[in-house]
Amino acid sequence: DQAFEDPEAYKEFLAKIYAGISLSGQQGPAGSPDLAGLDEGFSNYLRLYWKMQQLTTDEAIIGWNDGTIQDLHGQVWTAGNEFIRTMYTRLMYQVSLTNEFLRQTTDDKLSSRGVDADLRAEIQVFRAETRFMRALSYWHLMDLFANPPFVTENDAVGAFLPQQIQRADLFNYIESELLDIVDEMAAPRQNEYGRADRAAAWMLLGKLYLNAEVYTNTPRYNDVITYTENIINAGYTIPQIPYFHLFLADNDSNGAQEEVIFTIPFDGLRTQAFGGMTFLTHAPVGGSMNPAEFGINGGWFGIRTTPTFVEQFPNEENSADGRALLYTDGQNKDIEEVGPFNQGYAVAKYRNVDVNGVPGSDASGDHTDIDFPMFRLADVYLMYAEAVLRGGGGSASTAVSYINELRQRAYGDTSGNITQGDLTLDFIIDERSRELYWECHRRTDLVRFGQFSDQGVWQWKGGVQQGVTTEAFRDLMPIPETDLSLNTNLEQNPGY
Amino acid sequence: TVTDKANAMPLPGVNVIIKGTSRGTSTDFDGNFSLEVSQGETLVISYLGYTPQEILFSGQATIDVALVEDAAQLDEVVLIGYGATTKQDATGAVEKVGDEDFNRGAIVAPQQLIAGKAAGVRVTTGGGAAGEGGEIRIRGGASIGTEFGATNDPLIVIDGLPIDQRGGAQGSRNALNAINPADIEDFVVLKDASATAIYGSRASNGVILITTKKGSANQPLKLEYGIQASTRRITNTVDNLSAAQYRQVAEADGVDPSEFGNANTNWQDEIYTTGIGAIHNITASKGYENFSFRVNYNHVSQEGPLLGDLYERNGFNTSFVHRFLDNDLKITAIARGIQDEYQYAEDGAIGAAVRFDPTQPIRNPDGSFYQYGTTANLAPANPLFTLAETEDRQTIQRFIGNFNIDYNFWFLRDLKLSVNGGIDYAENSGFRFAPANPNNAGAFNFNGQSQGLNRNTSLDFLLNYKTFVESINTNIDITAGHAFQEFYIRTDIDEVSGPNTTIDTDINRNALLSYFARASFDIADRYLISASFRRDGSSRFSEDNRFGNFPGVSVGWKLMNESWMQDSFFSNLKLRAGWGVTGQQEIGQNYGFQGIYTPSRNDQANIQFGTTINGEPIFIRTLRPEGFDENIKWEETTQYNVALDYGFFNNRLSGTIDFYYRETEDLLATVPVPSGSNLRDLITTNVGEITSRGLELTVNGVIFQKENFGWDTNFNVTFQEQEVTRLSLNNDPNAFFLVGGISGGVGNNIQILRPGFDPTTFFVFRQVYDNEGNPIEGSYVDVNGDNQITEADRQPYKKATPDAFIGWTNNLRYKNFDLNFTFRGSFGNYVYNNNASDTGNLNAITNQPGYLANGHASVLDTGFTNQNLFSDLYIERADFVRLDNISLGYTIPFEKMTLRTSLTATNLFVITEYSGLDPEIGNGIQNNFYPRTRDVVLGLNFTF
Repeated sequence: DQAFEDPEAYKEFLAKIYAGISLSGQQGPAGSPDLAGLDEGFSNYLRLYWKMQQLTTDEAIIGWNDGTIQDLHGQVWTAGNEFIRTMYTRLMYQVSLTNEFLRQTTDDKLSSRGVDADLRAEIQVFRAETRFMRALSYWHLMDLFANPPFVTENDAVGAFLPQQIQRADLFNYIESELLDIVDEMAAPRQNEYGRADRAAAWMLLGKLYLNAEVYTNTPRYNDVITYTENIINAGYTIPQIPYFHLFLADNDSNGAQEEVIFTIPFDGLRTQAFGGMTFLTHAPVGGSMNPAEFGINGGWFGIRTTPTFVEQFPNEENSADGRALLYTDGQNKDIEEVGPFNQGYAVAKYRNVDVNGVPGSDASGDHTDIDFPMFRLADVYLMYAEAVLRGGGGSASTAVSYINELRQRAYGDTSGNITQGDLTLDFIIDERSRELYWECHRRTDLVRFGQFSDQGVWQWKGGVQQGVTTEAFRDLMPIPETDLSLNTNLEQNPGY
Repeated sequence: TVTDKANAMPLPGVNVIIKGTSRGTSTDFDGNFSLEVSQGETLVISYLGYTPQEILFSGQATIDVALVEDAAQLDEVVLIGYGATTKQDATGAVEKVGDEDFNRGAIVAPQQLIAGKAAGVRVTTGGGAAGEGGEIRIRGGASIGTEFGATNDPLIVIDGLPIDQRGGAQGSRNALNAINPADIEDFVVLKDASATAIYGSRASNGVILITTKKGSANQPLKLEYGIQASTRRITNTVDNLSAAQYRQVAEADGVDPSEFGNANTNWQDEIYTTGIGAIHNITASKGYENFSFRVNYNHVSQEGPLLGDLYERNGFNTSFVHRFLDNDLKITAIARGIQDEYQYAEDGAIGAAVRFDPTQPIRNPDGSFYQYGTTANLAPANPLFTLAETEDRQTIQRFIGNFNIDYNFWFLRDLKLSVNGGIDYAENSGFRFAPANPNNAGAFNFNGQSQGLNRNTSLDFLLNYKTFVESINTNIDITAGHAFQEFYIRTDIDEVSGPNTTIDTDINRNALLSYFARASFDIADRYLISASFRRDGSSRFSEDNRFGNFPGVSVGWKLMNESWMQDSFFSNLKLRAGWGVTGQQEIGQNYGFQGIYTPSRNDQANIQFGTTINGEPIFIRTLRPEGFDENIKWEETTQYNVALDYGFFNNRLSGTIDFYYRETEDLLATVPVPSGSNLRDLITTNVGEITSRGLELTVNGVIFQKENFGWDTNFNVTFQEQEVTRLSLNNDPNAFFLVGGISGGVGNNIQILRPGFDPTTFFVFRQVYDNEGNPIEGSYVDVNGDNQITEADRQPYKKATPDAFIGWTNNLRYKNFDLNFTFRGSFGNYVYNNNASDTGNLNAITNQPGYLANGHASVLDTGFTNQNLFSDLYIERADFVRLDNISLGYTIPFEKMTLRTSLTATNLFVITEYSGLDPEIGNGIQNNFYPRTRDVVLGLNFTF
């Protein structure tokens, strides 16, 4: 309780909850880590989530030799995989953090500490945001692991064995939580930059409903239409700037922010971690790429993409589509070997320079200013279009106009526009990849389209060069062996 | 005159006391003494290591006594913690190593004195660095070890002051360096729990009692000056490719020869040098009737072998003993002031030298250091540049003081009160400058100041009552006491690297409050019973778990004193058995039982909440709640010990056989918690069990004992095994944790903690070989038969700790020459060659981003393209026998002075099958190990 004598402590604790998805510990860029089970830089929330969502798909492959990291792209992971384990641990840690915040800010606690009315009102908003953050992490848990352990603020800290929740029940819980808090959250675009508002909660609801068929076997596409429309009407716009500006160091001020519903802010000097955007900027740079153009001191020679992704773009690397941010000089399109960086085209999406090419604030070139756009309007448009196609209502012509708005930004003119006839589900999954690649959506999208495991082939899937399909149980990640052995209430997902 | 019967040499410093009184004297340098004696009184003449003699005074003008050396030294006093006993009355597993048995040479770290000298005790140096210490393991340690659990280091008690198990000073390579090895009288190793239980919560890993030298009563002024000059050179380097081999391998793998340089540089040879060292000791001691003192000044300087590595020590060690009130009151004051100075050479240069391109020169034609250049930002800096530019100094000023009062009550002389106050205070201050990696254009220099303070204060009182009860023919020795000890550690960090600044202070404080008692009975000089009890409270646990009780019981049967043994060929035979419970609370954290909050430790761990009106981001620090386990409590070890002490041929052949079995419960380990149940992924809690058993055999032989020639030998062998038996809250037999981090990719571990296995067991794939016996790259045994090689196919295989280890010491003398040598050996231990597994492949050599790197020569045999980090190919048998120490001395007895000259060589050779750098690696993972040195030492010792 001593820690809360300073009234600022509540906001700082809330800051920790947001920092839980951007930083890895209490000392930047490394030191005093939150999690001790894996190297600190690797234990970062965004970095792990990115790996789960991207490395497992056709959009990304990594050449490093760190533990079982290559098993992710190969889809040959086991329940002992430390990256999967740490993702799970990080997610549950984030849930624990939010629970602790809720326990520390009950009416009783606040009264006993004599917290004044103004601060109490503010804390009520903090509590709603905390519950949003908990819902976000539970969504990730539900999406990746289906049936995670379930703990709320009603469980005390200590050595007990949490109960396992079933995926459909967790769906209901997340939904009810979000519906419960949505009105308490700040109005769309009214909260401080970096904090979640009502639109973020709508977006999360939209994500739940879009994938509801996967999670609960019950489609909810009409709800997708409702919540995407809420967001679309809340004043976000697709800025008329080149696509690549969205992922630059100044993407909190170059106009890109107009589109962003929920962001994970990073700062080269103040918000430093070896996970997050530092990873996403350095790891894909190597070969003959000039680090200076990326505003960094050097590449980490790790991540490339597969030919399958390259082929999503007409004319591939020479595509008129401005979203094909591929780097091919010295790179082989095919991936003969996983290790060497020159196998597979490189992706030049995240660059720590501003629109004028000026590098970010960290002159050492280690850490970047790029904010990660977790939810943005382009995704909402595509969700709307998909829900229309899947029978959720809405208007197909509106959907086409939304998509053409994105494609006009991508092509710089109307040459890439589509007609209503082009609007199919096959088009949607490809368009999502073209628009949203490397933004942590791909695995969930492929699962929803049934193309992740037993359908769909790309190089090195299944651990072989030409790629093979894998078994359908890999649509879910395994509950980590460690936690299964500790918590006898847990049951492993089928297949593992 | 008192002489040694064996060689008729006079014995100085022999105690001569009139029996039943406190009147006495000791012999001078020529063995002479004078004393006023009355008719009918009996003189007791005693000297450490000799059988005492009693002589009835009947008016003789002179008395000549020839003392006989007691080969087994059964009367030798042995400290046992808050008291003392004699060797023949000891019932626990207690072993004393006195200064005559110590390893010779220019020894800087006290633990090196006893390496190989005691069964069950293993001392492993961390490498050849200047001022390096060594890890001490008594019976292997009872815990998991610091990487994942509580420490395995023993408790060390110096002159009654228990030293902080975490070290006692920050910034030092070895906290024991505060004690001058030349100042140590003896080490007593308490091994089993019946002996250590009196130290309660810190005793599970054994206890080492160090006694320092003091002046003795009635002793003429003695001045000593000793100097040891030494050279230190490494004996081996990592087996990487020579420049010629490198060119061949790299070119064959497609590197354009134009990328090679024209030089042939062996970087490893370049970074090491011959270190020069000198140790000076000046000592004066004198004893009056009621007062004695000893003053020692010690200067040590030790260099290298890594360029720029330097350790210097200046120490003043003083002790004063004063007796009052007819010897009923004795005050002992010991004070030592030590200044340790380290110049740390940058260890990173060792790894860089192993990897740096051997075809490149050290310097460019213009004299500047060669570097890879800024296209290779991940490349290492030139190791010689790193060594030249990095500055890393640490100065530690330490004061260790002890104040002891012993008082025999006037009304009951058998009752003694002892008060012992001690302080160990250390301040350190250091500076580190590390240059930016010149290959990385944007990198910054690092500047750091570190300052700290360690304070350990201790106060204990005890009452001791010793008497002989005639009616039951029993000697009784009872002790009861109370102890308090507090530890305070402060660490200030002030680091600047480019725009990043970290300024922080950590304060760390904990205390122990204890009550203890012991009763020992010696019935009819045949049956020994001793029982002790300690109740310890630690601030590290919640009130519910704060106190722990630690009992110990041991019994002994002096078979030799039974009448029916009178004619046996044994000259000593004693059976001992002991049981005890000890604890462990050294878990490295002080507040593990309660929830605390940690704010951001620097400005780089803030996040953005909103923007100012001008659009500037507003950053806010974060506040993290910490995980905790309010039920955390002691780790508890129960140990059984059965032993036999034996002696033959008038104890010229003697020794001990000890067998022990040990079980640690509530093992403190840092383990995963069930996800969601705590605010941490791993937590230190009581989770497992570990058992160990061992057999220790010691043989001491006096082979020759002639006037001009003597030879005695000591051989000890220890067999041990250790097994984790439980490792999870729910007793899951398959629970395991990977430990033993290796290089070559982040987060890779090579060892496994798992029930049923030794805690240092390796965890590997079983390599598949072709018909010629060559390993097939990437091909492993598919253990679970699922047609895939995944981490489920990794198997526990071999271990780093030995099954057996030996020490063999010989002392020979011929006239004025003496020769000592000590072998040490270890069997059944394995080492993982991480240098080979990490870089012994083509990828490591030719496919580094933007630069060429050297690799391990094993690539010539394996031809591996990629890293095969987890192949059992890299687990190698590492049995060894090492000639640790050999010393030849010659003593010249001048009229007023004795001069001893000696020549010592350490680490002269190692016999081993292990192909890597050194088979003796503490954790069994060889990776850029600081190589051990071979020292040659010239010693001169003057005594006036």
